[in-house]
Amino acid sequence: MGTSRISNNIRKLRFNNGEMTQQQLAEKVGVTRQTIIAMEQGKYSPSLELAFRIALAFGVPLDEVFSYDPETESN
Amino acid sequence: MSFQQKNITVSLVNFTLILGFFLFRVIQMLQSDSFTSANIFRLWGITIGLAIVVTIIGTILTHIVSAIIEAIRTGKEDPKIEDFEDERDQLIDLRGTKVTYIVSSLGVFLSMLTFVFGQPPLVMFTLLIFFGLVAQTVGDISRLVLYRRGF
Repeated sequence: MGTSRISNNIRKLRFNNGEMTQQQLAEKVGVTRQTIIAMEQGKYSPSLELAFRIALAFGVPLDEVFSYDPETESN
Repeated sequence: MSFQQKNITVSLVNFTLILGFFLFRVIQMLQSDSFTSANIFRLWGITIGLAIVVTIIGTILTHIVSAIIEAIRTGKEDPKIEDFEDERDQLIDLRGTKVTYIVSSLGVFLSMLTFVFGQPPLVMFTLLIFFGLVAQTVGDISRLVLYRRGF
């Protein structure tokens, strides 16, 4: 448990968006900073709605933020 | 550590202390031959009352202490505490509640089993509150584990 099959580029996208902080992103998408940290560490897979909100916050399509790897060991 | 984690930690400490107090009083009663229904129901009342009061005070204190720590950290007079629950907090809370229900259901079943072994209702009532406290404690531990390990 703990390793998700869903990986993300949130960290990279934050830095590409004027070095946006985790707190700023959290406020933009309406979650706590801890949830952003958990997502960046691959410890939490967000709901579809939150995933869309994050993509919208960066102004990129969903598949540029999240990717699904069926080979990754999960649970 | 997030505000929710602090809140759960405080709850865990509180319920562990209440469980300790409950066990201490029951053992005291057994040793002094005062394990009677009047004493046990009084202990029931005290334990439930303590749980309610301590939970309220614990939540208020967590808010105050978090605000003080945040004020020192940021240097602001009116610091913002992230005390709202987002989807991850709600999911973890839901899973913790599920664990609490499973443990308390098992506890109720085991408590009822005492009738099969010919024990008086007093034993059943004592075990009921014992498993209630254990269920809350195990639920809090599972919440903290989920916060640390992720899911």
